[in-house]
Amino acid sequence: MALLSNIKLGQRVQMVVIPTILVLFVLAGIVMSVMTKNRALEQARYQADVYIDRTIQIIEMVKSKTGSGFYMDDKVLLKPYFQTPAYYATDFPCIISGNGEYLLHILRDGHRLPLTAFTQLKSHPSKDGFLFYTDYVNNSTEERMLCFKYYEPYSAYVAISISPDEVLSSLLSNRRVLLLIIVFCSVSAALLIFFLIKPIVRNVNFVNIKLKQLSNGEIPNHLKIGTRDEIGTMVQSLNKLIDGLKQTTEFAREIGENRLEFDFKPLSTKDQLGNALLEMRNNLKRANEEETRRKAEDDIRSWTNAGLAKFGDILRQNNNNLSLLADDVIQNLVNYMQANQGGLFMYSEVDHDQYLELLAAFAYNRKKFIEKTIALGEGLVGTCALEKKTIYLKEIPDNYITITSGLGEATPTSLLIVPLKLEDNIFGVLEIASFREFLPYEVEFVEKIGESIASTLYSVKNSIRTRELLEQSQQQREEMAAQEEEMRQNMEEMQATQEEMSRKNVELEVVTNAINQALLSATLTEEGYIVDSNNNFQTLLGYARTDLDALPFVELVHPDQRSEFNDFWEQVLMGQSVNDTLHLQGNNDTSLYIMASISPGLDDMGSIIKIFLVGQDISENKHLELQTQQQAQEIERTIVELQREQALSAQRQSDMEVLLKALDKNCLVTVLDPDGLITYINNKNVEVLGDTKESIEGKYLQDIDFSAKNKPKEFEVFWSNLSKGKMQSREFSLTVNGRETWVKENFTPVMDDSGRLIRIINIGFDITENKMKEAEMEGIINKLKDLKDKK
Amino acid sequence: MQVTDQDLQYFVTTLKNVSKYDFSEYSDKSLKRRLQKILEDSNFDLTTLITTLRVDKNFVERIVKEITVNTTELFRDPPVWHLLRSRILPRFKNNKTINIWHAGCSTGQEVYSMMILLNEMEMLDKAKLFATDLNVDVLDAAKQGIYKYRFNLSYLDNFDKVIKQNPLNFEEYIDVPYEKYFDIDKVKDTITMKKFLTEKPIFRKHDLVTDGNIFFAKFDLILCRNVIIYFNYSLQNKVFELFHSNLYPKGLLLLGMHETILGPWANKFERLGQSYVKK
Repeated sequence: MALLSNIKLGQRVQMVVIPTILVLFVLAGIVMSVMTKNRALEQARYQADVYIDRTIQIIEMVKSKTGSGFYMDDKVLLKPYFQTPAYYATDFPCIISGNGEYLLHILRDGHRLPLTAFTQLKSHPSKDGFLFYTDYVNNSTEERMLCFKYYEPYSAYVAISISPDEVLSSLLSNRRVLLLIIVFCSVSAALLIFFLIKPIVRNVNFVNIKLKQLSNGEIPNHLKIGTRDEIGTMVQSLNKLIDGLKQTTEFAREIGENRLEFDFKPLSTKDQLGNALLEMRNNLKRANEEETRRKAEDDIRSWTNAGLAKFGDILRQNNNNLSLLADDVIQNLVNYMQANQGGLFMYSEVDHDQYLELLAAFAYNRKKFIEKTIALGEGLVGTCALEKKTIYLKEIPDNYITITSGLGEATPTSLLIVPLKLEDNIFGVLEIASFREFLPYEVEFVEKIGESIASTLYSVKNSIRTRELLEQSQQQREEMAAQEEEMRQNMEEMQATQEEMSRKNVELEVVTNAINQALLSATLTEEGYIVDSNNNFQTLLGYARTDLDALPFVELVHPDQRSEFNDFWEQVLMGQSVNDTLHLQGNNDTSLYIMASISPGLDDMGSIIKIFLVGQDISENKHLELQTQQQAQEIERTIVELQREQALSAQRQSDMEVLLKALDKNCLVTVLDPDGLITYINNKNVEVLGDTKESIEGKYLQDIDFSAKNKPKEFEVFWSNLSKGKMQSREFSLTVNGRETWVKENFTPVMDDSGRLIRIINIGFDITENKMKEAEMEGIINKLKDLKDKK
Repeated sequence: MQVTDQDLQYFVTTLKNVSKYDFSEYSDKSLKRRLQKILEDSNFDLTTLITTLRVDKNFVERIVKEITVNTTELFRDPPVWHLLRSRILPRFKNNKTINIWHAGCSTGQEVYSMMILLNEMEMLDKAKLFATDLNVDVLDAAKQGIYKYRFNLSYLDNFDKVIKQNPLNFEEYIDVPYEKYFDIDKVKDTITMKKFLTEKPIFRKHDLVTDGNIFFAKFDLILCRNVIIYFNYSLQNKVFELFHSNLYPKGLLLLGMHETILGPWANKFERLGQSYVKK
């Protein structure tokens, strides 16, 4: 069968069905002929039995006549009855004895039954029946059937031997007819089948081809078969399927080309593919919509992200220059938003004064002229900053803002004001104006950017502030260092100055002491009142210091000389120093002559501060005035100097050298080192004592001093006192150029701060005149004494 | 560590041996303090300092710069400038040239003050200014003519007192803008002298102790303010001699507010206010 299933349907029908029909017909014929033969044999046997029974009846009748046993008379009597065959040509009745001998047979009398037949007969269970045997006759064998019945009276079998062939020969003609019928029937059956099957097979083949095409995915044309049988229905269905597929394919193609609006009806409600496609289409539609929506969202997101990245970059750059940064930001933001105008305000707080300052602007009209500062809460921008909420206006107040271009001026249609805030702290405000409306996501974007800007503003402000502070502190440190150094130098200078001054003060004090010991001095006001005076002055005039305070000096001048004095005074007030001998009247009408020098003390600008008077008591010498004139004049001159210098020194502690100079003129000045080395002698010294400067300077006092040589003990005491800082005075005379000269010397030791002797200043006076006068006076006194004595 | 007399002696001697600088006649006390300061600032002990001095020439220069004191300001001690304006400079009004030596000019403020005053008195053209200092660094600063602004606000006061006001008549007010002579940059914190001022004076390094007169000229006016306070008596006299011999007759020497000539050279000068006129 497996083999058959590989064969085409038509061939299978031809090869299998037709032969099968033929075989079946033949088989039917054969069966029929066999069955006919058997029935014929049986019929024949039945007939034979019947014949036997009739024969037995005849025998009965015969026997009744002859008596029991078979005898000759019986044979004679019965013979006529056994002379004709019963039905067929050779079926003669016969009587067979118990030992198989034919007792009566027309042809075979005296013959015996063949052995095989006889044993069969003997062994046959019943006394009647039939058996088949082979009869040998005339050297030929013949199959024969023996029907028999035992007949007691004769003890023999009444039998008929039938030849089956004879029975069957009648059937043979029937068999031919049957064959013919079979052939005819099978041929017509085969033809019928053939012609019935053929169109079916053809149609099936057509269907098959279409199905094959279909199976290959082609879409074939309609199949045109008009039958209404199952194949017709099948073809109809196939056609419907093809139509459906065509439509579905078209639909699928449309879908493939993304034309999702194609009108498609599924073949039926159970159309799986169609419904699946429809579902697919719908899904695609939904997906498309989803895609479109997502794409829009993606666009927004990528726009937002790109913007954030872009501004992130911008904000990272320039973060040390606020205005550059702000310019960059606002310019890019306006462009990115496809807006037209923008401004960035920065929040500042100065001394509790909160305001917004326009840091950068883009396309603001009159950018150069707007140095806009807006108070918090003022206008839209100020409100935005105060409330920290975005303001988005689609209707802009008139004249709020205009966008100017070459084509004119126009009010923008939308205005977006976004606070730059970070964690609820406001850092500024962004203002963007545009001719188009902003979408919510754009507003959101600006708000996001706002946060970044706020954060950057914060950090930039911070870093700028930090940098400023750093620079400032660096600068301050440097300045501090420089200033500290400068202060230290100032300090050093002051200290050095202080030391220098104190050193001079010491010297000045010495000089002043020397002056106070040797001379009389007073300080007067411009009006002529005495404000200060030294001891000599007070002692010689016999007044106490308090008496002299605020006393007009002119009252001390002898009335005779007052007019002269007033003239001097005028000159002094003119700024000149005046030298003259003044006749003064002291307390108790003491009369005093002084060689006076009156000098004005001037300040830097030449105006008078004080007037100084220095004088030497020359009362005792007055009568020797002529003799001492030369010296007096010299003293006078030096006093003038001294006076002036003293005046200045009193004014500023530093004018001592004037006095020194005065001393230099008036006195014999010697400067000694603590060890006695003479470092300086003045000209007066040289003049009075006669030696040359060169021979004295650089020598030691102890080497050249007269008393040191002649009175060493006295000198030693003198020197040791000096060394201890005690002032020492001495008087001595010596002869210079043949003239006896008296000198009074005041040795003043100069100590430093630590009490160490640093210098000894010797100021000497030529007191020769006094001595001479003294001597003269002594002489007169002596003479008077003498006279007295003589009296 | 306190610097002792021996330390100082050691230092001065070393310095004298390794360089041409001679501080032996400087004022002991002042020099001692400067040395003390150097030791404290540099964290050296004396031995290290001396050793370094011996081997390092640059270090010598540095130390010398640190020793010297460079205090000065624009129109320092306005009364002195009044004196210059009213009594000293008018004496040279008819001179063809005026030679002025700023000995120890430090960072040059005094030189610029002098030039500003001269210019106001219309005498700048005939003035020749010579400015010297021992410290090269301060000379460089002097040549630059750039000073700190905030720290030196007193400059402007001094300028006002000397240039804009007349001490003899306070009602008189001469409005001279600062910009005429210098630019003030408050941001950079600088006062910058105008170019016509900075390029006029001749700046030279000079040591009063050893160098004598390095200019082949005598002077009408020598300013040596707040310098001799750092010298001892002997050196002071040497310096006075130097000045005396390089002044024209009737030339003037101007010392610091608290400096005076004492001793032998006092005779050779006559006082004119704060200044000394060569006899």
